[in-house]
Amino acid sequence: MLRNLCGIGLAATLALTAAEFSWNLPAEFPRPVVPNDNAMSPVKVELGRYLFYDKRMSVNGKESCGSCHRQDLAFTDGRARAEGTTGQTHPRNSMSLVNIAFAPALTWANASLISLEEQALVPMLGETPVELGLKGRERDFLAAAKSTTVYQRLFPQAFPGEADPYTLANVTKSIAAFERSIVSVRSPYDRYRFGGDTSAISESAKRGEILFESGERGGCFQCHGGWNFSGGIRFATREGAERETEPGGGFFNTGVSRYAAPNRGLYEQTRKEEDLGRFKAPSLRNVAVTAPYMHDGSMATLEEVIDHYNKGGRFDHANKSRMVHPRSLTADDRRDLIEFLKSLTDQELLHDPRWSDPWVRGGNAGKYLLP
Amino acid sequence: MQIRRRASAVIVGLFCGFLVLLHGQDAASALQIVGAVKEPLTLTPGDLAKMPRASVRTTNNGMETVFEGVWLHEILKKAGVPQGTALRGKALAGYVIAEAQDGYQVVFSLGELDPGFIDNEILLADTANGKPLFGAQGQFRLVVAKDKAGARSLRMLTKLEVVQLRK
Repeated sequence: MLRNLCGIGLAATLALTAAEFSWNLPAEFPRPVVPNDNAMSPVKVELGRYLFYDKRMSVNGKESCGSCHRQDLAFTDGRARAEGTTGQTHPRNSMSLVNIAFAPALTWANASLISLEEQALVPMLGETPVELGLKGRERDFLAAAKSTTVYQRLFPQAFPGEADPYTLANVTKSIAAFERSIVSVRSPYDRYRFGGDTSAISESAKRGEILFESGERGGCFQCHGGWNFSGGIRFATREGAERETEPGGGFFNTGVSRYAAPNRGLYEQTRKEEDLGRFKAPSLRNVAVTAPYMHDGSMATLEEVIDHYNKGGRFDHANKSRMVHPRSLTADDRRDLIEFLKSLTDQELLHDPRWSDPWVRGGNAGKYLLP
Repeated sequence: MQIRRRASAVIVGLFCGFLVLLHGQDAASALQIVGAVKEPLTLTPGDLAKMPRASVRTTNNGMETVFEGVWLHEILKKAGVPQGTALRGKALAGYVIAEAQDGYQVVFSLGELDPGFIDNEILLADTANGKPLFGAQGQFRLVVAKDKAGARSLRMLTKLEVVQLRK
């Protein structure tokens, strides 16, 4: 029985190796930028999926990348602030990985961290706080991977021609490729706005869209703009050139807190006064399932978030964006805005087997042995 | 003949109503051209369809869109706003306020709307990729393709008001 299952796994992997990677994006959407030294391939994405969910990467075997980035929560964790595998609390809220391939900057407060391959090292090796706690155990993990049946197939096929493909660099490349593959444009709103399905969203959500896109009323689009509802995107043109829509932008002080260390926004990196309190405007796709909100997870519901912006922020600050000011949204407006935001949830994404945990026996890839 | 014309009007009205329902639009949406014009206008998509059509291809957040509509200077010409050789002297102290459904306003000088001065190609669009505009785009919008920022490519356009500073 076991041999048969492994045989099925081998056949599936060979098929992945031969196939070209497809983004599965509608033609009108742009494609993400892919680093020259880490081309996308189905088998590399599949390897990245196994690594993403491999709990042996954590010092106590309790957590993986997928612990703070749960698929059913659009790759967030439901906590106000993330918690590492040893119980240390991260200063900020877990960010969604959906459409991270289009993000000009990856984290809440570091405009210079733009490489998924580099970023993957932070939760693996970081010590302030400890997230996975892999530092000093890298060789042990790579040795464990080398002796794991599924990896014995995937690593050599993902990195053909390499004498020893079991390297930390290849681990981060694979995880980055997996994360890059998590793209979502299949929400009811997408069907309404781009697919010609006028009944895909409610009348309330349609009114909410108008409020969202009105600078005079909701003004939301001013920070969460474009089809990704984010502070800009980075993408590849049809000719293969790299473009960024808001170079240096996409970070705003919205009067959420007093901005005490270590949550002073971009200032933590740049030490420029004008960057105090500036945090990334993340994509609002799937925002209805990514509570709690803001960089510090200090708002439990979308109602709280909208009330925050309707009041013009919790706190005044010299750097507060001029777009954050008291507005006159009514209770009906708030309901419509929330209906609109709910229409951005891609339900397929939350259960799509391409991004699910392959180590769970009986899951979509339960054919493989548990590590 | 009159009955046939009325019947046609009813059919056209029903069809327009169908289109309005189809795209979830406010039935009252029509574009007003008012102010210092010889002939104030109220334009519907049907009226725009009979005017000289033009298109502009834009890229926004990596998505290409072909907007179709009527050059704004054609609309102003229809309303009797001075253009070409007539746009001189005091007339050049004129401008257009474009206003959106939510009260948002932007301004263009008459000079920057006149092809005799500059090829600015500002489009009053009513379709995107061959489909009528709807929802947060409004039924009409401006596409100012040569602006570096998008803030004057006003959506949900409801009114164009011409103002002459010097009489």
